[in-house]
Amino acid sequence: MALTHLKEYLRPTSLEEALTSLREGGKDARVIGGGIELVLFSPPDVTTLIDLSELSLSYIKENEAGLAIGATTTLTQIIGHQTVAQYLDGVIVGMLHQVASPLLRNLATIGGSLASANPWSDVIPLFLALDAKVTLFDGKYHSIPLSDLYPTRSHLSGSILTEVLLPVPASGTAASFHQFSRTGFDVALLNCACLVKVDAGRCTVVRIVAGGTPRLGAALPAAEEALMGMELTDETIEQVAHVARESADTRDDRRASARYRKQLTYVCVKRCLQEIRDRLAEGKK
Amino acid sequence: MRITLTVNEAKRDVEIEPGGTLLELLRREGYKGVKKGCGSGDCGACAVLLDGRAVNSCLVLAAKADGRKVVTVEGLADDEGLHPVQQAFLEEGAIQCGYCTPGMVIAAVDLLTHNSSPSEAQIREGISGNLCRCTGYVKQIEAIKTAAKRMGEGADD
Amino acid sequence: MIDAQKKGFVVVGKSERKVDGIALVTGKPKFVADLDLPETLHVKILGSPHAHARIIEIDTSKAEALPGVTCVLTHKNTPPARYTTAGQGYPEPSPYDTRMFDTKVRFVGDRVAAVAAETEALALKALKLVKVRYEELPPVLSIDEALVNGAPVIHDESDATGIYDASRNTAADIDITAGDLTQGFAESDVVVETTCETQYVQHTPIEPHVTLSYLDEDGRLILRTSTQVPFHVRRIVSQVLGLPLHRIRVIKPRIGGGFGTKQEVLLEDLAGLITLRTGRPALIELSRKEEFIASRTRHPMRIRVKLGAKRDGTLSAIEMEALSNTGAYGTHGLTVLSNVGSKTLPIYNKAQNVHFFGKAVYTSLPVAGAYRGYGATQGYFPLEVAMDELAERLKLDPIELRRRNHIRSGESSPIFEKLGEGREGVAQTIKSCELGRCIEIGAKRIGWSKKRGKRTRAGTWVHGVGMSIHMQGSGIALVDMGAATIKMNEDGSFNLLVGATDLGTGSDTILGQIAAEVLGVPLSKMIVTSSDTDFTPFDTGAYASSTTYVSGMAVQRAANKVREQIVKVAARLLEEDEDSLALAEERVKASNGQSVTLAKVCQHAMYQVAQFQIGATASFVPQESPPPFMASFAEVAVDTETGFVKVVSYVAAVDCGVAINPKMAQGQVEGSIVNGIGYALTEEMLISSKGRVRNPSLFDYKILGARDIPPIEVILVESYEPTGPMGAKSVGEVAINAPVPTIANAIHDAVGVRLTKTPFTPERVFEAIRAARM
Repeated sequence: MALTHLKEYLRPTSLEEALTSLREGGKDARVIGGGIELVLFSPPDVTTLIDLSELSLSYIKENEAGLAIGATTTLTQIIGHQTVAQYLDGVIVGMLHQVASPLLRNLATIGGSLASANPWSDVIPLFLALDAKVTLFDGKYHSIPLSDLYPTRSHLSGSILTEVLLPVPASGTAASFHQFSRTGFDVALLNCACLVKVDAGRCTVVRIVAGGTPRLGAALPAAEEALMGMELTDETIEQVAHVARESADTRDDRRASARYRKQLTYVCVKRCLQEIRDRLAEGKK
Repeated sequence: MRITLTVNEAKRDVEIEPGGTLLELLRREGYKGVKKGCGSGDCGACAVLLDGRAVNSCLVLAAKADGRKVVTVEGLADDEGLHPVQQAFLEEGAIQCGYCTPGMVIAAVDLLTHNSSPSEAQIREGISGNLCRCTGYVKQIEAIKTAAKRMGEGADD
Repeated sequence: MIDAQKKGFVVVGKSERKVDGIALVTGKPKFVADLDLPETLHVKILGSPHAHARIIEIDTSKAEALPGVTCVLTHKNTPPARYTTAGQGYPEPSPYDTRMFDTKVRFVGDRVAAVAAETEALALKALKLVKVRYEELPPVLSIDEALVNGAPVIHDESDATGIYDASRNTAADIDITAGDLTQGFAESDVVVETTCETQYVQHTPIEPHVTLSYLDEDGRLILRTSTQVPFHVRRIVSQVLGLPLHRIRVIKPRIGGGFGTKQEVLLEDLAGLITLRTGRPALIELSRKEEFIASRTRHPMRIRVKLGAKRDGTLSAIEMEALSNTGAYGTHGLTVLSNVGSKTLPIYNKAQNVHFFGKAVYTSLPVAGAYRGYGATQGYFPLEVAMDELAERLKLDPIELRRRNHIRSGESSPIFEKLGEGREGVAQTIKSCELGRCIEIGAKRIGWSKKRGKRTRAGTWVHGVGMSIHMQGSGIALVDMGAATIKMNEDGSFNLLVGATDLGTGSDTILGQIAAEVLGVPLSKMIVTSSDTDFTPFDTGAYASSTTYVSGMAVQRAANKVREQIVKVAARLLEEDEDSLALAEERVKASNGQSVTLAKVCQHAMYQVAQFQIGATASFVPQESPPPFMASFAEVAVDTETGFVKVVSYVAAVDCGVAINPKMAQGQVEGSIVNGIGYALTEEMLISSKGRVRNPSLFDYKILGARDIPPIEVILVESYEPTGPMGAKSVGEVAINAPVPTIANAIHDAVGVRLTKTPFTPERVFEAIRAARM
């Protein structure tokens, strides 16, 4: 049995009810979307689970603020959605096809993926590069940048993540995601997500995020700076990728060495930027 | 706690521990076709359809299945015979030890239900969460192609 | 697929559907753990946290006092006699160095105690209540550490037997020579030498080891178990528990893969003892983590090969030195070591001077055992890489170098006689060999001449092609024995009872095909029952690629005996000469057109005149071990920026004699190749400095999935093996030996680096490319 100490499994039908249960349960209560993390890691102290799937938080809506995805939307549902497929040349769908397996994606929710903050997460680096915002409910709704959640995730204690919002892409923007893993059903040895906006040939917005370093996706500010104001040419891409390699804080672990991860960072950033350059060129035609 | 779920179209009213998994529940209730290979979502041998979507039942808490529909490999054949995926697996030599087969077939059924003419890459992705150590996947991929073709032809009738 | 003349076969040579196919694809409860018995106890094992330690004190009182716990076992209350867990013929060529529960632990995960309780959760809870005091001893974490002077002695017990030199941690030692090696190298124009190292890998059958034991109504011990060796299980459990053999019945139902890890008595002794002590059924299932830590692995090895050749490429000397890490216990240590040489060296019989020597060494690490390929897999790595190097030095095409040296039909090799499985081998002459055609066909299919040496670039990817050739065996000559019983039923159907073990390989099906072919019936009229020690006759078990060849011959013999009986009865009925009668289409047909149905023949024999049960038992001991042959080719692309190796296409041309069931033979080759690619590129058990497995899960030990396989083409190039059933040889292992050297050679063709350590992970390949550039 997975969770031997679990006493209560609740399926609240309102957010307020869910929040009350979470607060009453204290440190022994957890909210779940698919519940994968809980079952896998079976923390022995968990006595109350609050399943969020009855709260109508499975939706994908386009509005003037951007693309809003409800927290209990599964990764499969996101892949299958027309609007998501069109977002920034399909970069989100392309990333999701590389995540885990269809079996796991049918169960995993976007809220769970963002909240569990697995260091090898592919979703988080891309959503950071896309400047996602998350909505937290603690009695009131609050919208914060996704980046504020990490690394401590202190915002999540006592509140429930209900939605993630991807902004309307400004014109002249392209994004890209790459990862390297040992097999096709594996977590990343290293992953990278980039977003660039180009105005009059020069980069005016640059986000370069590397994850699986082996730590959770985080920005590479030195590389971002190196690209700001520059043109996206082979030379600048090579230079920026080199800066990324030098500045990335990589470590050894079971899967790869710090040194090799630096090489992968270089290649990942290079390929991401090359893809962005190609996408922008396509867009101009 | 008590839950009610539908398994292979039969309503089942069962007593469970809140922390137990759907895999444990199904095997306890006699659905031995659902296999345990790892208990951690890495091998796919435990795959069942939950409301029409293939999931690792070893990672689904049984309580989560309350009020929902489960289909196991035992529920795929009907009065007219085997499901086209099962039939194709049999004919193409895609079954060796058979331990990964139920989960693989469930994943393939999910794939073909939602994508009636998948490319080879899509088929490989569709069963990417199902590990097999016997066959090397070659004949399983062929079988799914065959099943897709047949299901497509059947749909035209 | 090339289809040789099948001599008018009706059932054999057809890709008949597996006889258990429908049951498997509909999820019928046919596996060990699918049987629910009332009152079943759940058993959990406490494994050692230390790689090497003495158990000073063990207190199970709190565990025993836990309500719901019925039985706790330790060294204090279990039989002390030593045995081997190796499922081999008796007397086993493996040391008796194992106790059910010992006072010493020799690897992380070694048995310390076992608890039987009402539920799995209770058993796990009770394990935590077992108090153990250990005296930690220094671990031995590598072959070199084991052999150093003054190394800690892993097997210092006084009652172990069959260990070559326990004081030097040497479980086995081999040294054989043919010809004169000094002379051979002196005569050589070119000498190359290479040393290769292979890693710890695990079989990862999707079904872990599992055993259910219970007492039947007569109080006999029934072991329903996931095993490759039911008869060896029966004998060894009898030996270990001191229970008379006739009071034990072993049943192997459907099992979820084995690949060698189930050629071992791992759980049956434990389950059996708990059932004997409590009177209740006992279920032990290893978790996936326990599979990694405490089941069996492939022997990691370091092997040095030195080749001497004349300028024209003819080999004149081969030296092969193998050091094998057998882990904490010596199961299969000697025999796997023997196979490193016995299944590799004969392929180059032109070399007159051969020296093969080596040791199997104890370490305080996970226990190595039988794994498909069984030493040949490790041996072909340096051998075929050295051949590739030799070709380069001689400026010969690697294919041409193989052609000038490989064994052919009608030829022999001194190695066959000198090197058996742990004892002397058996001389043999090759009677079927299409290796030449395999090489030719495979080379064409991969596009060898178009691609070799071209280093075609596509972005950062560079392409290359590599090849290697292989042989294995078909059973163990003069050692293996298989038997079959056939009895006839009055509707013209037959029961075929075989000891042979179907691990998923489909042996039930192909053995049924052989019998059906002889008796002139469709496969559906041949009801196959296998692997039940009460009902099926003896078979050594599914290993050494024995089933098609050895068990198949037994089936053919039994079927022929039955055919003779049928013909005798039919001759009376038809009033015809026996010589003029043939069995076909479920009838006995006379040359003049008359016929009688098999059903009628049996009814007559069962009920009417001179009644007797038409049926026979036959056995077969192979006098030789005819090798299947394989030529393996792969095209790889190497990403020079990251070291990732992609297998772009794989071609395997295999001669397994006549393929009894072509699709199933292909399936064996495909599965072996994919397993071998994992061995070459992605699989590795990582061991910490304390001897602990760091990645005991499928999450972190990567086997290939459906997204990872290259396009694989398997071409069965048929030959006719006169000593085999219907002309067949076996095919279960040969192909797994190929991917490592083929891919190593292809990587060299692409980027010019020689990789000598598996797996060829992207990081290793990248570092090798980087180092080569400096």
